[in-house]
Parts: sequence; C-alpha cells; structure tokens
Amino acid sequence: MSVYPSQDGELSKQLRQLVQIFKASARTILPTSSQDLLQSIVDAAARLFGAAAASIALVDENHQVLRFEVAHGAGQQDVVGQEISIDAGIAGYVVMTGNPIAVADVRKDPRFAQEFAEKTGYVPGSILAMPLVWNDRVIGVMEVLDKIDAPSFGMQDMELLGIFAHQAAIAIRQSQQVENLGDAILMGIKELCEGSPSLELGEVLTSLSHEVDEDQRAQDLMTLADLLYAFHQFGDSERKLALEVLTAFRDYVRSKQVSL
Amino acid sequence: MSSMSNQPAWSAQFAQDAIRELEIIGPIRELTREWAWGGSNGEGVRVAVVDSGIDQDHPALEGRVQKGVVVELEGDGLNQTRIEEADPSRDLCGHGTACAGIIHKLAPQAELYSVGVLGRDLTGRAIQFAAGLRWAIENEVDVINLSLSTSRKEYYALFHELTDEAYFKNVVLVSAVNNVPVPSYPSLYSSVISVAASECKDPWTYYYNPFPPVEFGAPGMDIEVCWRDKSTCVVTGNSFAAPHIAGIVALIRSKHPELRPFEIKTVLFACASNIQREGE
Repeated sequence: MSVYPSQDGELSKQLRQLVQIFKASARTILPTSSQDLLQSIVDAAARLFGAAAASIALVDENHQVLRFEVAHGAGQQDVVGQEISIDAGIAGYVVMTGNPIAVADVRKDPRFAQEFAEKTGYVPGSILAMPLVWNDRVIGVMEVLDKIDAPSFGMQDMELLGIFAHQAAIAIRQSQQVENLGDAILMGIKELCEGSPSLELGEVLTSLSHEVDEDQRAQDLMTLADLLYAFHQFGDSERKLALEVLTAFRDYVRSKQVSL
Repeated sequence: MSSMSNQPAWSAQFAQDAIRELEIIGPIRELTREWAWGGSNGEGVRVAVVDSGIDQDHPALEGRVQKGVVVELEGDGLNQTRIEEADPSRDLCGHGTACAGIIHKLAPQAELYSVGVLGRDLTGRAIQFAAGLRWAIENEVDVINLSLSTSRKEYYALFHELTDEAYFKNVVLVSAVNNVPVPSYPSLYSSVISVAASECKDPWTYYYNPFPPVEFGAPGMDIEVCWRDKSTCVVTGNSFAAPHIAGIVALIRSKHPELRPFEIKTVLFACASNIQREGE
C-alpha cells in the first residue's frame, strides 16, 4: 500500500479496511473486554486459593487511585467501582513497594476495617494482597480474602499467587495494549500527516474516526470476529464441526458466484 | 519470563520438614551465641531501614529513631533524585515501621535511621531505591535492612556496584528476597546476607541454608508487628524475616565492632539453629 496514492479516496478506503481488519483480528484472539478477562481471573483465584472472596484493582496513575474492577464472592456487588488512594493501607503498601503481603486479621487494624466497611459493608479477616507487575511497574493489586480452611494465608499461597499474578499482569497489559493499538495506528497516521504537508489526509482521518464503527459491513465483521472468538472456546470436536460447516458454506457461495 | 520456572521457591527451603542439621568442622565450630552476642543490646550500632519510612513516634520504638530522610524524584524525566530530611520521620504505609520494630525488639539500644524510598510516583522505584541505599552507605551506618528489590536486569550492575561498595566500606547489608520466585537484586548477590521466611515463630531461631542463593531463614510468618499510625498488625512475608537477622547482626556488631562483613556472616552461619556446634 503506497502512502502517496493518486487519489485521497483510495487511501481512505485502504486505511479504513486496514483498521477494520486489525480490530477484527484482535477480537478473535482476546475477549471483547478486559473486564471479562479480569472476572475470570478472580473467579479462578478464589477457587484456587480456597478463599471466600477475591478482587482486582487497577492503578489509575492520572488520579493516583486504585479502582476495583472486578470481584468474586462476599462483598462483590459493592466493591466494584470503589476507589482507594494508592497510599492507603495494605493495598497501598503493595502498590508502592511491589511486594505482596499477607495479613492474618485485618479486623484488628482499626483503620483498615473502618475504611473498607464504610465502602463495602464487608470486612475480611485474612488477606493476601499481590501486586500485578508489568515491567517493574505496579499496574494493579490482586487480593484473595478469608482463607476458608485456615486462619491465614501462608508463604506457599503467596508464591503460588505470585506466579498466577505474573501471568494475569501480562494478559491484562496485552489486552490494554490491543485496545490502545487501534488508537495508536490513528495517532501514527496523524503524525504522518503533520510531518508531510503535501499529504492532505485531514479528510481521511475524519472519515476513519467517524465511519469505522458505523459502517454495516464493519459491524458485520466485528460480529463475525466475536463468533470466531467463541469458536476458540469450543471443545475440539465442536470446533472441527464449525470449520466443516463454514468451509462448506464458503464453497457453496463460490460455486454460486462462478455459475453467475 | 522463562527463568521463572527455574527459580526455587525461596521460603520452601526453610519449611520445617526441609531444614537440615549441618555439621561444621574446624575452629569455626567453637563459635557460640554467648560469645557472638551474649549480653549485647545493640548499643552504638547504627541501623538504616531502607523502606517506606519509619513512624518515629510509634511507642514500640521507644524513641530510638535518630533521623529520617526521604528520596524524592526530580528532573524532567523524573530520572534524578534528591535527598530530603524527614523531620519527623513518617511511614507511608507501615512496612518500614514494622521492620524497625522487629530490629528494636532484638537490639533495643541500636540507633535507627529511616531512609524512605517509596513515593506515590511509581515510575522511579529502582532509582529511588538505589539512591537511598547509596545514602546509607555514604553515611556509614553499620547495618542496612533492605526489604525491597528489583527484578529488572538493567539494574543488575548498578546494585552490584553499590553492594560491593558497602562490603568494602564495612557496611553489612541484610536483604529480604522477593516473595515470589523471580530474580531479586540486590538480595541475591553473594556479599549480601539474604533472608527468607521460615515457619518458626521464635525470634532467636534462624537457619542457614546450605543451598543458596538464599542463605538464611528467619521468622516471617504471622508475626505481630508495629504498623502505621501507632497500630499493630499480624503479617506474613519474607520482608519481615530480614529485620530479624539485621537485629542479630546489630547485636554482634555492638559487642564485636572490629568484625568485618565476611566475619559477621561466618558468625551468623556458625550460630544458626541448625548448626551442630562443639559440645552440643
């Protein structure tokens, strides 16, 4: 694809298609929202660690807070969306140091209990808080609360949750980057325009930002991408059957086109 | 990170059923705890806690915090640091106070110095940490307690240089290893006394590990500690094991100020709870 086309309309069309294809292929690989991913992580963590509750809060550096994104178990309805300052209490310690910590009885810490109870109506007993670290930056905190068959979380729990959290952080970061990458492509094109006055791509940019999601064809492509993602989750025999059906449909359509 | 699967789980080596009794031979065998630190209370020894700060008014610390500094980031890219006095010294989250409290319980007359290296800006962690460590080394404290580490390879050389400097300047570094099995700088350098959590609760019980890089195990599980705002907390983590060793090192240095860092490590080794000594 040449950057210096003979017609702006042609370039506009090509760029639009490129971004559409990119977004569609991203959606076939990852869940449509990082919320789904985070929810599945806390659900798995609670089960794995035999905990009554689990949550993930992500760092919002602009506002210097931790925002609870997902929760599982006791208090889950109320905790999502709550924000706490990144220098507050146990979660704050984890964010600032990048170290995990296990506390045996948070109810004994009057400050913790008050802050949490006010926001959620749920005050945990034992807590294991683990940083989600990407490239030496703490991007969030995962907590598992109230170990079911023991009074507190131990070192083995900490080590296991650490490995789990490491993978979770990678997945979270990747899904954030993919969401941002579409925007990054647009930014790149914008910079290209600004750097080369002979290119008149203002109209292209306008058409890209307005039309990509409104076009019916683009929406259909997204729906198809979602279906392909769903296929990923099938078992082997279901996926094989889906492939056979789609292949047969493609061959049918082609045969019809040839006969026209 | 493929290296993760090759790293041991640090504290598993100090699980009760993993601890091995070790025999040592030669004159080192004659070292006893009584000789090493019997009757010592840490007097005259300066211990720096490089951490989140220390709440100097916490009643459990009994006024032993002498001075506090904080490392702040500055410059256009926030890639430079400056040292500011913190008067009074305050703890951002409680962890530094917890470490100071453990050291104080073991060595009640040791002087405590707070070096705060954390901040709300999360980008500069490793350089703030390095700057705080450098301050403590340049100010010639006797023992430095470290509960932080970085796993970024690009800082390997910087921390190695700092720990070498400490070693040759007669400063003993005691560092907690990371709680998860990733590379942990500077904890795992050979000149540093590296510590992980054991299952034992007795503050005077610690173990030597014959399979380093983590060399010592000390109490770090369900430990009652002082926390921020004059409160207390029951916590678990490798970072609470290091101050147990730092406190004992302070006692040794108070009683035997002539000992160099390599001799201190030998004394610690010879007096470990899993070492069979002469006449025992």
